[in-house]
Formats: sequence, structure tokens, C-alpha cells
Amino acid sequence: MQLSVRELSKRYKTGDGVSGINIDIQKGELVTLLGPSGCGKTTVLRSIGGFLEPDSGDILIEGRSVIQLPPEKRPTSMVFQSYNLWSHMSVYENLAFGLKIRKKSKAEIRASVDEALKLVRLSGFEKKVPAELSGGQQQRVALARSLLLNPAVLLLDEPFSALDAKLRHEMREELREIQMKTGLTMVFVTHDQEEALSLSDRIIVMNHGRIEQIAQPQQIYDEPASLYVAGFIGKMNFMEGVADGAKIRLGSLALPNVKNLRGRVTAAVRPEDVQLRERTDTEGTLTGKVKQVMILGHYAEVTVELAEFGIIRAFQSKEVVQRLQPGQEVGVSITQMTGFPVDEAKAN
Amino acid sequence: MNAVSTRKAAGKTWSKETRQSMLGLAMVLPSFAILLLTVIIPIFQSFIMSLTNDSGGYDLSRYAYLFTDKGMRGNILFTLRVTAITCMLVLLVSYSLAIYMRFNQGPVVDLIRRTYMIPLFIPGVIATYGLINLLGNHGWLSRMLEVIGVELPRIIFDEKGIIIANLWFNIPFTTMLLSSALSAIPSSVIESAKDVGVGRLTLFTKFIFPLSYKTFLVAVTFVFMGVIGSFTAPFLIGANSPQMLGVSMQQVFSVFQEREQAAAIAFFSFLLCSVLGAFYIRSMAVEEKDKI
Repeated sequence: MQLSVRELSKRYKTGDGVSGINIDIQKGELVTLLGPSGCGKTTVLRSIGGFLEPDSGDILIEGRSVIQLPPEKRPTSMVFQSYNLWSHMSVYENLAFGLKIRKKSKAEIRASVDEALKLVRLSGFEKKVPAELSGGQQQRVALARSLLLNPAVLLLDEPFSALDAKLRHEMREELREIQMKTGLTMVFVTHDQEEALSLSDRIIVMNHGRIEQIAQPQQIYDEPASLYVAGFIGKMNFMEGVADGAKIRLGSLALPNVKNLRGRVTAAVRPEDVQLRERTDTEGTLTGKVKQVMILGHYAEVTVELAEFGIIRAFQSKEVVQRLQPGQEVGVSITQMTGFPVDEAKAN
Repeated sequence: MNAVSTRKAAGKTWSKETRQSMLGLAMVLPSFAILLLTVIIPIFQSFIMSLTNDSGGYDLSRYAYLFTDKGMRGNILFTLRVTAITCMLVLLVSYSLAIYMRFNQGPVVDLIRRTYMIPLFIPGVIATYGLINLLGNHGWLSRMLEVIGVELPRIIFDEKGIIIANLWFNIPFTTMLLSSALSAIPSSVIESAKDVGVGRLTLFTKFIFPLSYKTFLVAVTFVFMGVIGSFTAPFLIGANSPQMLGVSMQQVFSVFQEREQAAAIAFFSFLLCSVLGAFYIRSMAVEEKDKI
């Protein structure tokens, strides 16, 4: 195991903080800590980096406890959200500084810096100072600086959040590529679920200082472990139904009761799992009225007002949408859903 | 102010540009007039006056006296010595306080933060009398030490007293300057340096000091000028000889009634300060050029 966090907890004076954090990360994995601001993801990351002293728990890197070590002694390296570079040094000096401290020879430093700059596609930028670089270039240099130290675990604290959307996409791809090439273990903090889904080997969803779910992106999306995860990742419809033996009934619809729930059930339904039909008299459909059709490029989001359940959103192809008019009566069916007991919904 | 208005003046038409620069000049004029009347003309007058010799002619005899008279030479060296020692101590203490406040939290930091500016609000004369009461021959400190049988060495009425007083006057403002400079250094810069493996000493010499160097220069300039021209404390708790230049000037002026000689001392002090001023302005100009 490359990185293990065991029963980590940290409480701030304000009452915020994290508790019961257990994480195991394999060598070469890219794991994302995902959650809304204030959920404690940065607290976990900064504890791993040594910038925060946790109240209790242990952190092991390559099997060795690092909890007592200051940041400069830990085999980790961190890329910060912003103001990463040292403004009084050139790009070359920024990159070479850590190696100089490690007493590497000049030729060795020069070769490593060249290689790192090539990796982040900034060859020839050695003499520039940070103020002359764009935001994306600065973050790339910061990434290179961390890569040069060859850390056992690379920590990234929302490194792309200050960049514009297009650049953010590019940087994601580049980071993924660099990770493939170097095989580095990375822990990435973000509040952007799209970023987490596209980057990660595994995602750790956090809320209120606790871990809600640890799983691969596809699993997080398809089988959210809690109502919170269901609502946080992607778009989701929530409807109230009743568990009836092997079936969960939503009005006239009956869907398989996979989790053997009892009593009232909150059904979480992805918009792409909602089907619309023009005819309303078919057995096994709900009836509703089209409220709005929003074209979102190659697909459209259709809002339907159901007689019994209120608003439901459905993703439809362009072809289907062309035949739909606002105010039109439609039949709605559901192909897949995840059920949660209603009490859990109240607790959240 | 001048620079701002000229930059703004980059208008479309020539007439607008001219109008803008006229306005800029008009806005600068009042402050320049004050500078001219209260600083430039008096300096010039003092300079002329300092060139007049006993027989009414013009020569450099007043300046020659500054360096040939044993007492006067002693005063100059004494002043430079006190100034240098004070500058070093003030910067040492203020940097330490500022760094401590920047990187620590807790009740001690809160206490320092709340109290370190108090000396700024106490008038110099009162503070100096306070020091005499505290450190004097039969002051509080000596009376308290007497109880345990320790005799207090002489602190005031010599160099040490002047330095202590100047520390009291200069540390608060310098600490304030340096604190604000240090708080302008983003935490992530310090943290990323630590992350790379930088130890405490390197952190200061390679990161904190270079990133607050500009403010450091401002602070040195302020302390240097403040101490070299200080009068109240040296006058009240300084020795009769050697004297700080300010005290010596006052004596030459009012006791010996040698106005020309006093003017020479004044002009010489001004030259000492302008050396540092020139150094300061030059390094600022270099930085500005680097930015462009």
C-alpha cells in the first residue's frame, strides 16, 4: 500500500473538521477527494502533506508512519491552488531549488529540469519569471517542480480551479498523461464532480467531514452508496415510492427491489434512464405534461410535470425531442433506479 | 502623483493631452511649493551660511572644523556608531517579532499584536522621562535589584541609554512595516518551500528575506534617518561628550551662538541621510526597471 490513512480526525475550534477517515491507496493510483467546500477534503490532504496536525489517527506512506514528520521531511509533494511559484526566482531556479537542497550535481539538475519542462511542454521557458507566465503555465511549472522531487505521493489541492474551463480540460488530460508516464501515486482534491469523474481511478466522496463512498467513477455514478452521493454526482431525479416485496412501486410503475428495502422508499433516477412516449394509454407508464425542452447540443433535457410526482427531468435524443411540444401529454417510464430508505433521507 | 497624471494624459488628441498635463502640473504644484519653501530653500540657505567664515568670506573652514576638531569628530563617529547599532538591533528585534507573529498563533501572539504599537502613542519626552525613572541611578530597576543585592551598572547618560530609547521609538513602526510585508507573502509560497524540503534558516534567507527586501530597505531608511536626527532622547539622557549630532548642533547654535557652524553640522547630517536616500531610491528604480 502506497498511502494509508487510518482513523484520521481533526476538529477545528469552529466545530468543523473530519473524523473516521480511512483511506488506502495503491501505488500508481490517482484518487480524487471530492465534496462541496467545507466537507473536509482539503483538511485530509493537508494532513497527509504535513501542513496540519491531526488530533488523532495515523498516516503511513510506503508502510512507514509519517505523522510525526514536518512537511519538509515527508516523501510527499504538494501542488497548491494558486500562488504556487516563488515570484523572486526564474522558472529554472524554481525547479532547481529542491534538487539543490538535495545536493545534486549541476549537470544532473540541468538534465532533470530539462526533462521535467519537456514533460509539462514548457521547454525553453527556463529564464522566464513567474509573472511572465499565464495561469496555466504557472500551474504546469508548479506541477513540474513537484514531479522533480519524485515524491512517493503527489498531492494536488484544486490545482486547476483558478483556470478557465477550456484550459482546465486540457490540464486534466495532461495530468492524466503525465500520471500514466510517470506512474506516480496522486491524491487530487476537487469540488468539481466532472473533474473527478474524468480523472480518477477511484473517487472518495466526502460530506460533513465523513467519507460517504469510495469507489470507481462508474460505480459512484451507477450505484451511489447514499442519497447524498446520488444527489451530488451528476443529475438525478428523486421520487417517493413504496417497497412491495420484490418490487418498488412508483404509482403504476414497478421496478426491481435490489436492496430488499421495506416501507417508503426514495427512488433516485438518472435523467438518461427516463423514457418518454407520445401515447399515454400504455400499461406501465406514468402520465405527465411536457413543461420545457432545453437543447444541450447533441441531446436535450426535457422537463415533464407528472400528475403524482411533480417535476421529472429526462435526457432525450434530438430525434425524440423534435416530436415533443410544451404542454403535450406524454407517457413516462423508468428503466433503472436506485432506492434509498426514506428515513435516511430525513437524516441527511 | 505626477506619474499617474501623465499616464492618464495619454489621450486621443494633442489638445486633450496638453490639458491633462496642465492639470497634472497644477495638482503637483502646491506640494512642490511646500517642499520648496520648507525644505529646499532652507537647505540651500544653510549651505550658503555654512560657507561663510569668521572674516565674512566664503570657504570650507566650517566643514574642516567638523573633521579636525577632536570633540566634533568624536560626535560624528559617536552618532554613526549609535545609528548603526540601533539600526541593527531594531531590525533584528522587529524581524523576529514580525516573523513570530506571522507564523504562530495563540495568546502570546495576540498579546504582542495588541501591545507592540503602544510606544507609538507615548510622546517622546514622556517616554524618555519614563526611561530615566526606570533605568536611572536610583530608578525602579536599581531599587528592585538592590533587594537581591545586585548593583545596576550605569545604563543611561551614555550610549546605552540613547540606544535603548531609540529602540523604544523605532521598534513599533518597523515591526508594523515588516509585519505587513510578511503578511503579503502568500502562505502557499512558504508551504511550497517547506514542501520542497527547505529548512528554517534557508526559508528565511532564500524566501522570506528576498520577498520582503523592499520593505526591509524602507525600514532601514526610516530607522537610520530617525536615529541620526534624533534629539529628545540624546538631549535628555545622553552624555555631555560625545554627543549625538542633533544635540551638538543645538549647543553650537544656542549656547555658543555660532549659527554658521550649526548650519555646517546640519548640512553634513543632511548629506549623511541623502547617501542612504540615494541608495534607497536607486534600488527602487532598479526594481521598477525589472518590472518593465
